[in-house]
Amino acid sequence: MTDATSTRLADLTAVSAQLRADRAVRAKRAALLKHVFLIAASFVMIYPLLWMVASSLKPNDEIFGQLGLTPSDPQWSNYTSGWNALPVSFTNFFWNSAVVTVLSVIGNVISCSFAAYAFARLEFSGKTIWFALMMMTLMIPYHVVLIPQYLTFLQLGWVNTYLPLVVPRFLASDAFFIFLMIQFFRQLPRELDEAAMIDGCSPFKIYWAIILPLSLPAMTTAAIFSFIWTWEDFLGPLVYLNDIKDYTVPLALRMFLSQDSVSEFGQMFAMSVLSILPIILFFVIFQRFIIRGIAMSGMK
Amino acid sequence: MSTFNRRKFLGTAAAAAGSAAILSATGNSAFAQDRRIRHFWWGNPERDKRTFEVIRLFNEKNPGIVVAGETLGSADYFTRLTTQIAGRNMADAIQMGYGVMFEYINRGAILPLDEHIGKSLDISQIDESALSAGRVDGKLYALSIGANSHVSLYNTRLFDAASITFDPFGWTYDDLKRVAGEVTKATGVFGTDDNTADYQNFSDYVHQRGERLFDDEGNFGASAETIADYFAIWADLRAAGATPPGQVSAGLVGAELSNWGIVTGQTAISYAWSNQMVGVQNLMQDKVGAAMFPNTPEMIPGSIIQPSQFICLSRDTVDAEATTTYMSAFVNDPEMTAVLGLERGIPANAQVRAALQPKLTEIEATSVAFFDGIQGKTMDLAPPPPSGAQEIEAMFERVAVAVLLEQAPIPDVANQIRREAEGIRRRAR
Amino acid sequence: MSIRSKLRRSWPGYVFLTPWLIGFFLLSIFPILASLYLAFTDYDAVNAPVWVGLENFQYMFEFDYRFWQSLKVTFLFVVLSVPAKLIFALIVAMLLDKGIRAVGWYRALFYLPSILGGSIAVAILWRQLFNADGVINSALAVFGIQGPYWLSDPNYSLYTLVVLAIWQFGSPMLIFLAGLRAIPQDLYEAAEIDAATPSRKFFAITVPMLAPVIFFNLVLQMIEAFKSFSGAFIISGGTGAPLDSLLFFTVYLFNEAFSYFRMGYASALGWVLLIIIAAFTAIAFWTSKYWVHYENERG
Repeated sequence: MTDATSTRLADLTAVSAQLRADRAVRAKRAALLKHVFLIAASFVMIYPLLWMVASSLKPNDEIFGQLGLTPSDPQWSNYTSGWNALPVSFTNFFWNSAVVTVLSVIGNVISCSFAAYAFARLEFSGKTIWFALMMMTLMIPYHVVLIPQYLTFLQLGWVNTYLPLVVPRFLASDAFFIFLMIQFFRQLPRELDEAAMIDGCSPFKIYWAIILPLSLPAMTTAAIFSFIWTWEDFLGPLVYLNDIKDYTVPLALRMFLSQDSVSEFGQMFAMSVLSILPIILFFVIFQRFIIRGIAMSGMK
Repeated sequence: MSTFNRRKFLGTAAAAAGSAAILSATGNSAFAQDRRIRHFWWGNPERDKRTFEVIRLFNEKNPGIVVAGETLGSADYFTRLTTQIAGRNMADAIQMGYGVMFEYINRGAILPLDEHIGKSLDISQIDESALSAGRVDGKLYALSIGANSHVSLYNTRLFDAASITFDPFGWTYDDLKRVAGEVTKATGVFGTDDNTADYQNFSDYVHQRGERLFDDEGNFGASAETIADYFAIWADLRAAGATPPGQVSAGLVGAELSNWGIVTGQTAISYAWSNQMVGVQNLMQDKVGAAMFPNTPEMIPGSIIQPSQFICLSRDTVDAEATTTYMSAFVNDPEMTAVLGLERGIPANAQVRAALQPKLTEIEATSVAFFDGIQGKTMDLAPPPPSGAQEIEAMFERVAVAVLLEQAPIPDVANQIRREAEGIRRRAR
Repeated sequence: MSIRSKLRRSWPGYVFLTPWLIGFFLLSIFPILASLYLAFTDYDAVNAPVWVGLENFQYMFEFDYRFWQSLKVTFLFVVLSVPAKLIFALIVAMLLDKGIRAVGWYRALFYLPSILGGSIAVAILWRQLFNADGVINSALAVFGIQGPYWLSDPNYSLYTLVVLAIWQFGSPMLIFLAGLRAIPQDLYEAAEIDAATPSRKFFAITVPMLAPVIFFNLVLQMIEAFKSFSGAFIISGGTGAPLDSLLFFTVYLFNEAFSYFRMGYASALGWVLLIIIAAFTAIAFWTSKYWVHYENERG
C-alpha cells in the first residue's frame, strides 16, 4: 500500500464520516420535524378531550355562556353526583357495558376469523355467492332492517335480554371483521399451508397454529374496533333493553339531556369522560400487539 | 315567596326511596299472580327519579298491581316506541306530546279511555280544557300531565340595564322592535332571536290574523299573504339590527335550547314552551323573565294553552283496567302528584295546583305567575291537527330558512310553503 | 370434477363457515327479505303493510325532489371525504409505523377523534366549535380572518362535515398500520442494498404489498360514507338543514321511517341505496383484479 493510496483512503474515511455525521444531523432534524408535526397535529386531536374535561368541571350555567377551557370554580362534584344522578348508579351501567363488550369482542374475533379463514384459505363450492351475500349484509342501511330484526328477536323471545346484542357476535354477524381478516389472511404465503398439509395438518390445525399467530396485528385491530364499537353502540341497547337496570353506558349518557326540562350537562360530560377511559385503556394496552409480522415474503 | 329548593325537594322525595324503590318500580319484587303493567316515558335525571318514586308509591298503595317503569332520553324515545309498535309490544301506559299524539291516535296505536271513566279512571277534578285537548271525534284518548304555552323568555339583567318597560301580557311586534332596539343600544347584545323559521311563533301569528292553520277538512289554512307578512315582520327586525344576522339564525332553526341566544348570551330574548323555562334558567346565570309572544295591535289571541305531555293507554296494553287505575292515580293522587310537582308542566287538576303552590322554586313560581297572567288572553284550543301536521311543521322550518339566507324572495317562499303543505296533506290521506 | 369429490373438497370450508351460515339464516335473511317486501308496501309500522307495487319507487323517481337532493349530497360527501381520509390515514400510519418514541400514546391520540366522534358530548362540541362566534372563528379572527358560517351557510356546511369526517381517520389508519406491519421487512432490506429512493420503495414495495389493505379501506370507507348518518344527523338537528344541504341519504330515510310513518317508503329508499352501494362495490372488486394481488395467489 503506497502512501498516496493510504492518504486517499484516510480522506475517504473522513469524508464518509462527515457524510455519516451529516446524515445523523439530518435524521435528527427530520425526527424533530416529525415530532413538531405530530405534536401540533396531536393538539387538534386532543382538543375535544380537553374541552370535554373542562366542560365536565363547569356548572351547568357556565357551559354555554363561556367558551374558555378553564372553569371558574371546578365542580368535581359533577363526577360524584353524576355517578348517582340516574335512578340506577353508573356502577351498574359500566358493568353492563363491560359484560356486553367483552363477550362481543370474544365472539367477533372467534367467529369472524372462522368465516374469514374459510373465505381466504379454503376452497368450497358456492364461495362467491356466500361472499357476495356477506358483503350485502354490510351494505344494507341499518335503519331499514331495524324493525324486521326487532321482530325476529321478539319471536325468539330475546327482547329485554342481552342476547340480541351478544349472540349475533358469536355468529359472525359483523361482515366488516370477516372482510378485514380475509384481506390479511390472503396475504400469508400459500407455501405455509401447503407445507403444513404435507406434514398432515388438518385445516383446523393450520388455522390455529399458522394463520392466527401470523395474523396477530389483524386480530388485534379487529379486537380494538370491536371493543370500541360495541362500547359506544347505543342503537342496539336502545331498541332491545327496556329495563334501566340493564342499560349500557351510552344509553345512560343520553338520559341526562332533556328538551322540555332540566338537562344536567355538567354531569353528562363528567360521565362521558369516564366512559371513554376504558376505551383508551384497552387501546393503549392492545395496540402494542400490532407488531411487525414475522412472515417472510413469498417472492424471493 | 317560598325559597323551597328543588334539590331539597328531591332529597326528601326521591332519595328516601333509594335503590329499593327502583327495584320494586322495575318489578323485581313482584309475585307471579300480580297484574304487571309497564309505563314508558321520556325523561331526564330528575323526572326519572320522581316518576320511579311515584311508581313505588302506587305499587305500595295498590297491592296486586305492579307497574314497571321504562325511561329514555327524549331524543331516543320515539325510535324505540316505533319498533315496539311494529312488534305490538308497546308499554301499557305511554307518554305523548301534543302534536305527534294525534298521528298515533289516527293510526290506532292509542286506545280511547271512555269505557273506564267513572270506574278505574276518575276525571272529575280535571280541567275541562285539559280534557278537551285529549279528545278526538268525541272520544277521550289522553290525560294531560302538564299544561304548556308559548312564552318569550327574556334576560332580566339586560332588560334592567336598558331600563325596558313593556307589558309582558299585551305587547305587539312594534313593541318588540322598540324593546329589542333599546336593548341592543344599551348593552350591545342583540335584542331578540330571529323567529323567521319558527313554526310555533308562526302559528300564533296565523291565529292572530284571524286565520286557522288547518280548516275543517284539514287543508292548510294560512294564506300566502299572512305567511309573507310574518316573514316581513322579522325581516324588518333583522334589517334594524335587532336580531343576529340571518346566516347565524339559519343555524339555530330548531336548535336545542342550549344553543338559544338567551342561553349563549348572544341575544336578550328567546322563544320557548313554558315547560322549558326551568331548563333554560338552569343553563343561565342571569335571571329569566317571562312574557307572552308579541301580538298585532288588534290583539286577537293567538297563543294556546295546551298539554305539554299526555299519558295514554296503548293499543298493546295487557290489562286496560290496571293501567287506567294507574293513570288515574298519576293525575289525581295527592301524594303522587306532589312528588311529580311541576316537572312535566302545570298540572290540570285544580286541587293539585293549589297543593303545590307553597313548594315552588323561584323559576317555577315565575312560570306559575306567567300562567296566571295569560288566563283569558289565549285562544280556545283548535281542533286536533290532521295527519301530516308534524311534517308540515318541519317543512316550514326547512323552507323558511331561504328567507333568512335571502336565497329567495319572500312571496316565492310563502307560495312554496302553501304548495308543499298541500302536497304533504295529499300524501298523508 | 364429480359432485362427490367437490363435496369432499368443500366440507372443511363449510365447517368453518357454519357460525356465519347459522347467523345468516337465523338472524339476517329474514330482516333483509322483509325490508325488500316492505319496499313494495305502504307501511306505517302501526298497521299491517299494504302492497302497493312499484308506487314507492315511482314516487321517488318522479316526484320526490328531496330524494334527488339527498343522493346529490351523499355522492358529494363520498367523493370528497373518502380519498382525502384514506390518504391522510395512510400518511399518519406511515409516520407512526416506525422510529418514534412513545408511539403507543401517539396512536391513541390520533385515534381519539374516532373514539369521541360518536359520543353525545361531542355533538355539543361541534356547535361550540363551528358557530359563527365559535372557537374556530375566534381563532381565525386572531389572524384577521373572518371565518365563514361553517354550519349555517349551505355553501359551507357539507365541506365542514367532510373535514370532520377526515378528522376521524382513526379506523383506516389503524388498519393501514396493521397492514404496514405485515409487510416482510426483508423486502425493504433488499431495496436498501439496491439503494432505492424512498419514493421508489413506497411505490415498488409498500403500495403493492399494502394493496389488499388499501382495497379493504377503500371499499369499506366508501360503504360507510354512503351510509354515513350520525355526523349529519347530529349537526343538522336530525333534519338535513340548512336548506337540505346536509340531507344525507340515511338522514332522509330515517325521518321517513321514524318521524313520518313511512316505513315502506323508507325501505324502498334503503334498497335503492343498497343497489347503488353494491354497484360501486362491484366496480371496485372488478378493478381490484388489476391492482390488488394476494400472496396466496402468486403462481
